[in-house]
Amino acid sequence: MVTEEEIERVSKLMKIDVDDHKEYVDKVHTMIDYFDILDSAGVESEEISMQEIPISNLREDKYIPFDEKLIKKLNNYKGTYVRAPKMS
Amino acid sequence: MNLKISALEFVQEVKNGNISAEDFVAKTLERIQSVDDKLHAFLHVNEKAVDQAHEIDKKVKSGDRVGACFGMPISIKDNICIKDSKTTCASKMLENFVAPYDATVITKLKEQDAVFVGKVNLDEFAMGLTTEFSAFGPSKNPWNTEYVPGGSSGGSAVSVSAFECIASLGSDTGGSVRNPASFCSTVGYKPTYGLISRYGLISYANSIEQIGPLTRTVKDTAFMLNIISGLDSNDNTTVDNKNEDYLSEIDSGVEGKKIGIITEMIEEGTDPAVLSATKDAISKLENLGATCEEISLDMVKYSVAAYYTITATEAGSNLARYDNIRYGYDFPVEGYEFNSYIAKARRNFGPEVTRRMIIGGFVPSTGHAGKYFLKALKVKSKLTRDINEAFKKFDLLIAPTVPILPFKMGEKIDDPIALFLVDINTVTANLTGKPAISVPFTISNGLPIGIQLLADSMQDKSLLQAAHALEQTVSLPEVPI
Amino acid sequence: MTKIGLEIHCQLTNLESKLFCSCKANYREFEINENICPVCMGLPGSLPRLNQEAVKKGTMIAMALNCITPEKIAFFRKNYFYPDLPKNFQITQLNLYGDTSIGGAGSITVGDKKIRITRIQLEEDPGRLIYEGSSSKNLITLVDYNRAGTPLVEIVTEPDFENPRQVRDFLNILSDLLENLGVSDPSLEGAMRADANVSIEGGKKVEIKNIGSFHDLEKAVHFEITRQESLYSRDIEIIQETRHWDDKRKITISSRSKEEELDYRYFLEGDIPWVRIDSKTQEKLKSKMPESISSKKERYISKYDIPTQVADVLSSDKFYSDLFEESYTEANAKEIANIITTDLMGLVDTREKREESKITAAHLSDLANSIQSGKISRNSAKNALYEIVKTGKDLSQVMSELDLGNVSDESELLGIIQEVVSEEPQAVEQAKSNPQTINYLVGKVMQKTKGKADPKLTLELLKKQIE
Repeated sequence: MVTEEEIERVSKLMKIDVDDHKEYVDKVHTMIDYFDILDSAGVESEEISMQEIPISNLREDKYIPFDEKLIKKLNNYKGTYVRAPKMS
Repeated sequence: MNLKISALEFVQEVKNGNISAEDFVAKTLERIQSVDDKLHAFLHVNEKAVDQAHEIDKKVKSGDRVGACFGMPISIKDNICIKDSKTTCASKMLENFVAPYDATVITKLKEQDAVFVGKVNLDEFAMGLTTEFSAFGPSKNPWNTEYVPGGSSGGSAVSVSAFECIASLGSDTGGSVRNPASFCSTVGYKPTYGLISRYGLISYANSIEQIGPLTRTVKDTAFMLNIISGLDSNDNTTVDNKNEDYLSEIDSGVEGKKIGIITEMIEEGTDPAVLSATKDAISKLENLGATCEEISLDMVKYSVAAYYTITATEAGSNLARYDNIRYGYDFPVEGYEFNSYIAKARRNFGPEVTRRMIIGGFVPSTGHAGKYFLKALKVKSKLTRDINEAFKKFDLLIAPTVPILPFKMGEKIDDPIALFLVDINTVTANLTGKPAISVPFTISNGLPIGIQLLADSMQDKSLLQAAHALEQTVSLPEVPI
Repeated sequence: MTKIGLEIHCQLTNLESKLFCSCKANYREFEINENICPVCMGLPGSLPRLNQEAVKKGTMIAMALNCITPEKIAFFRKNYFYPDLPKNFQITQLNLYGDTSIGGAGSITVGDKKIRITRIQLEEDPGRLIYEGSSSKNLITLVDYNRAGTPLVEIVTEPDFENPRQVRDFLNILSDLLENLGVSDPSLEGAMRADANVSIEGGKKVEIKNIGSFHDLEKAVHFEITRQESLYSRDIEIIQETRHWDDKRKITISSRSKEEELDYRYFLEGDIPWVRIDSKTQEKLKSKMPESISSKKERYISKYDIPTQVADVLSSDKFYSDLFEESYTEANAKEIANIITTDLMGLVDTREKREESKITAAHLSDLANSIQSGKISRNSAKNALYEIVKTGKDLSQVMSELDLGNVSDESELLGIIQEVVSEEPQAVEQAKSNPQTINYLVGKVMQKTKGKADPKLTLELLKKQIE
């Protein structure tokens, strides 16, 4: 059951301002309801696996500076620091 | 000048001196000018393309070493970074983002003297099936402009299909290369996970997505794969394909191959025209010496739910970096508090992306992760085990790429589940990391139908051989634009 | 029953590059935002590239702390929004699907107490924040990303500490251990940080964050224990919460409840496959590990007869033990150990002094041998040492420049001895009957020669003179 409060809580968590929570409730609710189908998959005992590589494949520890002055190409660059909004 | 040639034909013509890259690229840009108003495949066109082709022509004339592409015009999905080029992911959030580096695939193509004619349209951040979720307007299907071209790599498929370029690079997370390829009657390929480097591909669901070429012929795809595949130190998930040559022996055919027909992908809900095309493809393959037999992969029933759960989670995390502080669009930080600034800035995401992120915050959260996200991961594991079993018995698997015909703009945009289910035949290859290809097979009432083949991990070469064999059995009408 | 646990973050400052990219690991010499690249800035399309040496060093640290080191390690995403976090998630380690952190279940002994290590994990450091404007009115947050992506090892302990003193001792042992392993220089600013959790009488656990130094950590823990005891004695409930250390007022303050919204949504980092560290590699790492501090100490005591206190100081400081290891011989080991821990210490007790010091193992060896053979007295050796550290000149050069050599010319010495004997008839008489008291006369000779008389020779000649 997905409520308007849930949508509000999650959108705060994901840091997105949603004007009308109600508008999203219906569609999101439908989508999440659809996911209930996973309950009948019978996969409780499955192990979660992933790609593996040996330690020898990892990057060598070398200092290689990036060949450009990267900071100049980004936003909010006014001299040195990146400017971010104030913290509460 | 005939723009309707394949990549290999183009290379041959330039090598023979019959055409120059510059002329061809200039004609291509004219073509774009004349048709793209109606189709809207392109988000930005590279004005310097003709000059770049000119430079390559100089090399050809002087007998210098020329890269394998010989100046062929290629379009790039706008979620792949080209240095000093706007890369927007069809989103207002990245409206002004200029990539400061090249994606690995771009570096490789540049080395081979490809010319990028422009960046093409997609669903915002690659989340969608029709390109209708692009923040800059949808693309149209060249076979019938009232219909969707598929997505998310809609612009790629349209540009190749409408002869606005020779080939395109798209990205495939749940069918985003194969689906529009099928809807626009081009070849669309998703390689084994890790075969092509994702460095420079703006992440949506990084554990399952791959860059994939869209081309006119299967041989062209093999040609592209030779250039862009391979181990990359910039991407820890790439695998070593030992410089495999995908073009050699592509004519090997399917004699003696065992092909499994995935029953869950031809069930009720499949359009009769699609079903009949699939049956036709199967009998053509049998005529070429393959044996086809049905096989059930029952996890396919849960694959769409698992796919959207996993991708929403990863997207929620991959898109968290878009807080507009380091890059994005013009919105100064002065006067704002951190949390409210970010929330406001991120309102520039479109509604579909917003929906996916809300889901992506919900399904892995404490209290819900066990029911949704973890279960989805387990479905993924079991599906992978099951398909590995299947490949012990079969060399290839076959199914229609999309269970339905292309549909009209706006038809499914308000029905999220109906839209999800368009993916039901394609997400399996992503969830399991297996290579899959959509081969244009027939046109039904003016609308294209593609047939999909899958192979086991790292069997991309034999997959392309089978796809080529199938492709050779049909001769398709020309796109009416 | 007070229970204190620690969460220590240690930068692997001896690595060349960051954890996931090739920018410099030690960011301290750079101008603001000059040590960055698309990866550590989390630019769209960038991907992490794991540093092999970081995994090796992390494994070594785990081994040095007697931890279990798994054959496969995995990385996870910890998702939250903060301006110092370029991707708005941190790549870290977790034990969600089995034991996949770089180290688990270890321990270290502090005095007679065994402190259990819960786990060790590799993770990336965020950038640094500065607030423009005063804290009550800050208008803008300034961010420097040079540090973002620096390799960190997080060491989490069980709440086994019983008092702040144990905490301090543990941190000293840990710093020495990490320095000795060659993975980090703990004296670099910000290289080691720690958070603590405190509970008393089986009550709720309170976390303390934002502690700037180890010095502050001890204070913070002490304050928190006092605060909790005071509440307890008045029957007031101790709330389970996170508090931060206010350095100005020297107290812990309850953090805003913004923490409650946090749900990190941990999941596997899809861009980094699981890394296999097979047993062969692990054995190789173990065999290449530098000798541990306790083993060195043992060796110094048992093989060279160095006193325990001296061995303690010598073994636990890498700068000293390196010098010692390079310079000693069987014969002069004890003497060198002595020189280092008494005279040299005062001259190289800070980072800057050590960086500027010009002393080498050869110098020490020279000095020790000269003292033993009587060429220079202990006193003069002190002066010579000062000069050597400052200038790096040869011992012989310093000795002649400053006239520090012992007076070992017999006739010269005899002359002075005769002077003393004539000046101290009573002492001479005493010495005849009670030989021990001859030292007084030796002292007088020393005075006259400003400490440069060869003590052995002086004694010999004095004895003869008195007979």
